Parts: sequence; C-alpha cells; structure tokens
Amino acid sequence: MSKKKSSVNFENKLARLEEISETLENSDLGLEKSVALFEEGVALSKECLLILDKAELKVKVLKKDLDNINLSKQDSE
Amino acid sequence: MNVTREQILSVSDVTKSIKSILESSFEKIIVEGEISNFKTHGSGHWYFNLKDEGAVINCTMWKGLNNYVFFTPEDGMKIIVTGRITVFPPRGSYQLDVRSMKPSGVGELQLAFENLKNKLQIEGLFDLEHKKSIPQFPQKIGLVTASDGAAIKDMISVAERRYPLVELIVAPTKVQGAGSAKNIVQSINQLNLIKDIDVIIVARGGGSIEDLWSFNEEIVAYSIYNSKIPIISGVGHEIDFTIADFVADLRAPTPSVAMELSTPNADDLKNFVSTAYNSLYEVIENKIETNKSFVQDISTSYSFRYPFERIRKNSQIVDQLSLLLGRQIDKIILTAKHSISLLTKSIELNDLDKVLKKGFALIKQKSKFVARKKNFNQQVPAIIKFYDGEIKIK
Repeated sequence: MSKKKSSVNFENKLARLEEISETLENSDLGLEKSVALFEEGVALSKECLLILDKAELKVKVLKKDLDNINLSKQDSE
Repeated sequence: MNVTREQILSVSDVTKSIKSILESSFEKIIVEGEISNFKTHGSGHWYFNLKDEGAVINCTMWKGLNNYVFFTPEDGMKIIVTGRITVFPPRGSYQLDVRSMKPSGVGELQLAFENLKNKLQIEGLFDLEHKKSIPQFPQKIGLVTASDGAAIKDMISVAERRYPLVELIVAPTKVQGAGSAKNIVQSINQLNLIKDIDVIIVARGGGSIEDLWSFNEEIVAYSIYNSKIPIISGVGHEIDFTIADFVADLRAPTPSVAMELSTPNADDLKNFVSTAYNSLYEVIENKIETNKSFVQDISTSYSFRYPFERIRKNSQIVDQLSLLLGRQIDKIILTAKHSISLLTKSIELNDLDKVLKKGFALIKQKSKFVARKKNFNQQVPAIIKFYDGEIKIK
C-alpha cells in the first residue's frame, strides 16, 4: 500500500505546490511568511520530481477462476 | 418402407416412418432465413422460428451449442444456420435442430448495430448527464482486455512512459467470439468490486465487425452504463465505433489512446514542477530585493542620518520650559513670603494692642521691645509705648 500512499501524496503535493506558487505571486504576505512558503515549495518541488523519477509501474492481474476478487501480483514487462 | 392400401398403420407407426425419412434426408442442411419469435428459456436453450415469404420452420438451439454464437440473435435478423431436422412424435411436429449460426452477411450485423444503438439511445444510455468525469490523477486503473493481446502491451507501455505512479489492475477477459460479451460484463463487475479503482479501460485491438461484436452487445452496454467506476472505451481502430463507445464515459479511438486519456503525462508534471520551482525563486528574490531597498530607503533617510537632531531640538524645548517653570515658582514663592510677613506683622500688632489697651506699657530700646530687666541698657535712650502713644526717655 506504500504505492497508494505515495500517489495520494503526490497529487496533494502537486496541489499544494500550485497553491503556494499562486499565494506567493498574488498576495502581499510578509517576508517571513513568504520565506516559509518558499522553503515549503522548494521542498515539495524536489519531492515531486523525486517521486516521478523513482516511480515504477505496477501491474496486477486478477484471477478469474477463484470467485472474482483474488489478486495476484505480477511484474510489469 | 412400402405402404399398401390394405395396410392399416398406427399413428405411431406413421410418425416413426416420417421421423426416419425426414431425419435421414435432412441430416445436415444449411438454411437461410429470418429470425422471428426468438426466446431464451431459463434452461439456456434458444427457441425461435426461421421464416421467409412462404414458410416457417420451428428451430431450437441447445445451450451447449448456442454458447458458441458470437452475437445475440434478434427478431428480424437474417441468419444462416446449419443443423438437422428432428421429429417430435408426441406433438407430431418437426423442427430444425440448429448446430451453428451466423449472420447472413455483415449487413445483418450492421442492422443489428443500428437497431440496438437506436434502442439504447431512446433508453438514455448515451445521455451526457450520465457520463462520469475521468479523474486527473488515477492511482489504480482497471483493464478489461485480453491478457495476451497487443492491446494490453500497448497500454502498459503507455502507462510506463506517461505515469508510472499508477497501478494497473488487469481483469483478463475474452474479447472475441462466443461468450466474450458475458466475460466482458463479468470483468467490469469484478473490477467494480474493488473499491479504490479510479477508472476502467475496456479495450481491444483492431479486427472485423465480427471480432469486435461483443462490444456491440446489449449486456455489455448495460454493464458499462451501470458501472460505478468511470469507463473509457478503446476498441479497435480509429474508424471502429461500437455500442460500448457510445455508452462509455469517454471514447478513445484505440487502447493506447485510452491509456493516454486516463493518465497525466509525467513530463508535463515535471515541467509544471520545474516552472513552479523557478517562479518560487523569482518571487522570493523579488520580495527580498523589495524589502532590502525599503530598509535602505529608511536607513538613508534624514532622521536616520542625523539621529541627534531631534533630541537636541527636544532638549532645547525642555530647557526653555524648565526655565519658565523656575521663574513661575520663584514668583509664587516670593508672593507667598510677602503675604506671610504681612500676616505675621498684623498678628503681632493685634496682640500688642490688646495688652496695651488694658493699661500695660512696653519699653523699647533700639526699636526692640525689652521684656526683661537684664536686657535693659541704662545708657541708651528708651521709649515707653502706651496704647495711645509713645514717650521718649533720655
């Protein structure tokens, strides 16, 4: 399930990054708050790129013969 | 069997003769006709009539055999069947026992396609308000496709290239030939049991109209319609349109495109992140620069260059005020002193007057009262003070 987590996080991270970017550009935040957002944004950017670079496709094939939901793992090609 | 006029036959005997003649003469026939009165019984057997302008034959097709028919027969459809004539003595009837069946031509399938399309359109299966939106960042994509086809290979490589964060859940499915429609329905239902699948792709590579026919079946249309998970269809090539395409929440021309439509592109995402990263730097640098110049403006301002100017000004004012205050106080003290001395004098005079009035007298020497004998100086002139005046003594 770590895969699922990273994917959820990825989407959230991306959304947060977008939010930070817009906030920084469009609002009159004080310098300290701006720097804090900047640091968060830079960290997020790095994490997002890392997730994208390290991701490996997972393929699972369902088994038909045993009553419907039986998951079996299989490596991707 | 030779039948002479004298012979009397039982019904069974005649029927037996008919049965043996008919069944041996029509052991393997190929018949073309139009379907009418088509019925599927609970047992799984099919019952229908085959007719043309002049005649009708009752037909049956048993469960074990009709499994192999790739399409669902419908009234009005022209078909070619192979089979044999059988006689059913208890009813005195004969029927065509169908072993295999195919549409008379591609035109028949196209007609069936149009009919079903119109029917489902009227039933609202294609309505836009039923279309579910496709999530932008899927975590799990369900695949309804053959596990050994080209379609699945294409889709996996597209997912790998575009969005390797995703997990593909493959429901291996028969997508061609008899029973494939049912199998597609099963796979869609199976994937619907897994709660966290974000989107399902129903896909198959290119082929003839017969090959793709299962995607034109009503049961497939309804299972796509009833799926809780959004479905993208990617069946055949660009030119192939199936009923599944019309019902699906999104139609893709091919399996690869279906995967493209259901995944964001990692390269775009990387670009987005890098752009955001750069703009963060730009914005923060601007902010720091702005703040810096603000501080500089302040530190080079007049009051910062001559910080004591103000203090001096103020201390001058304080000096002036305290001087003024001192003067005022002196004045007040002086006035007070004056009025005190006046009062004292008047008090003293008042006391003396009272004493003198009673008849006492006072002696003064050198303008001071002499109250005791020891203080009296014989050599100095004295003044005796009465109430009504003074006498000088030499």
